[in-house]
Amino acid sequence: MQYSATLLDHFRNPRNAGMMREPDGVGEGEYEQCMDLARFYLRVREGRVAEARFQAYGCGPTLAACSAGTELAAGTSLEELADIGEAMIEKAVGGLPAERRHAAAVVALALQAAARDALARRAAD
Amino acid sequence: MNRLVYLDHNASTPVHPEVLEAMLPYFSERFGNASSVHGFGRAAREGLDVAREQIARFLRVSKDEIVFTSGGTESDNLGIKGIAAARRTGHIITSQIEHHAVLRTCETLETQGFAVTYLPVDEYGMVRPEEVEKAIRPDTIVVSLMHANSEVGTLQPMTEIGRITRAHGIPLHVDAVQTFGKVPIDVNAFGIDLLSFSGHKIYGPKGVAGLYIRKGTKMTAVQHGGDHERRRRAGTENVAGLVGFGKAVEIRGRGMADEAVRLAGLRDRLWEGIRSQVDEVRLNGHPTMRLPGTCNMCFRNIESESIVLGLDLKGIATSAGSACTSGSVEPSYVLVAMGLPLDWAMGSVRCSLGRGTTAEDIDYVIEAAVPLVQKLRALSPVKA
Repeated sequence: MQYSATLLDHFRNPRNAGMMREPDGVGEGEYEQCMDLARFYLRVREGRVAEARFQAYGCGPTLAACSAGTELAAGTSLEELADIGEAMIEKAVGGLPAERRHAAAVVALALQAAARDALARRAAD
Repeated sequence: MNRLVYLDHNASTPVHPEVLEAMLPYFSERFGNASSVHGFGRAAREGLDVAREQIARFLRVSKDEIVFTSGGTESDNLGIKGIAAARRTGHIITSQIEHHAVLRTCETLETQGFAVTYLPVDEYGMVRPEEVEKAIRPDTIVVSLMHANSEVGTLQPMTEIGRITRAHGIPLHVDAVQTFGKVPIDVNAFGIDLLSFSGHKIYGPKGVAGLYIRKGTKMTAVQHGGDHERRRRAGTENVAGLVGFGKAVEIRGRGMADEAVRLAGLRDRLWEGIRSQVDEVRLNGHPTMRLPGTCNMCFRNIESESIVLGLDLKGIATSAGSACTSGSVEPSYVLVAMGLPLDWAMGSVRCSLGRGTTAEDIDYVIEAAVPLVQKLRALSPVKA
């Protein structure tokens, strides 16, 4: 399996890994066919993501895509993040082999869910 | 620069330098077709005869009982389909943990009207001999079981199984691709009538293998053409490859027992090093009745592929039990048949050691694997 240097770098040195205390939004994405699970935590300041962290169970590309996803999320508005697509995640890891595209899917789902959760919490305040 | 450690010898092995040396003349000056009557053909035939002799001597069988094939898969196909074609109808006994070469052959035969029993295995991946006996029917035409499983390395109780098949007069086919040249095989003591074995698992080249067919076994060829291999397998022989195969077998015969002891020591050093430093890890396969170089471990709540990739980035080649194909993960059917729960079975990694493996390699693998597993566990939202 050929992976990009970017993907391998994220896998080797995952950014923003681990849980977050008292996050402003939490979301999970699951890809049942391969049992991958990604969970993102968001810290929000003035409608934008100040910090994103992740936990994940899955293959190497999924873990790398989570790491890249936290960097993509930082600075993004919640509305934009709620709409983030798989293509952006895939681009952020320098592409994915066809059999590993689910990595981008599970990360996009989780980031969207985290953004929606943060938006819902803000609306409830 | 990372050290390079190859721990995937159950998948394939590097060609031994002496094997390569023996093969080279058969690509150039001894290139002839072994069926040709002229000098070039005779030179090739001579190489083929020596290879057959080397293998027959190693197995302590007659040269005429060895049929050369293109791989373990072909040997398995020829063994099982050859019996089925001769009998035309009947019942086959195999197990749930066989190689796909056997399982898919049996499944194909089912579509042609043959009945197949897929025996279960115990928690160690072992077929119970009494289950074999229970499954035998009046129309059973062959029992096909592997000597050792490629994933977990468990050795089957062949002597007991062979005693049963012999008592019932049923041919026993054994897929010995993982054991040939690694542990002793006595076709008479085991009661084996057909034995599949391969070259590239024992430092020979790929594309060469064999099937031992006990004299008197009723078989029909499944590949038709010329009169090669005493009409049991048509097709020009891969002379250079087979010469290498014969050499590889001769080399294995020199120090097999000592190498098995050395590998078992390294295998146990690996397991002990991991087990003593990592929580929630289990050894798969039989604790003692196992291939000397095979160590299959499950790391709970981590996906195998992430461990294999992490080790690969450290220059260590291992094999994942669960395979992610087309976006879905299939846990190993062998581990599932052994009754492992999914949260364990998804995290299996096989390390298979070989002649190049050293104690320093094993220590390097332990040193790399322990923090990797800890890191992956720290990332995981799944907690035990």
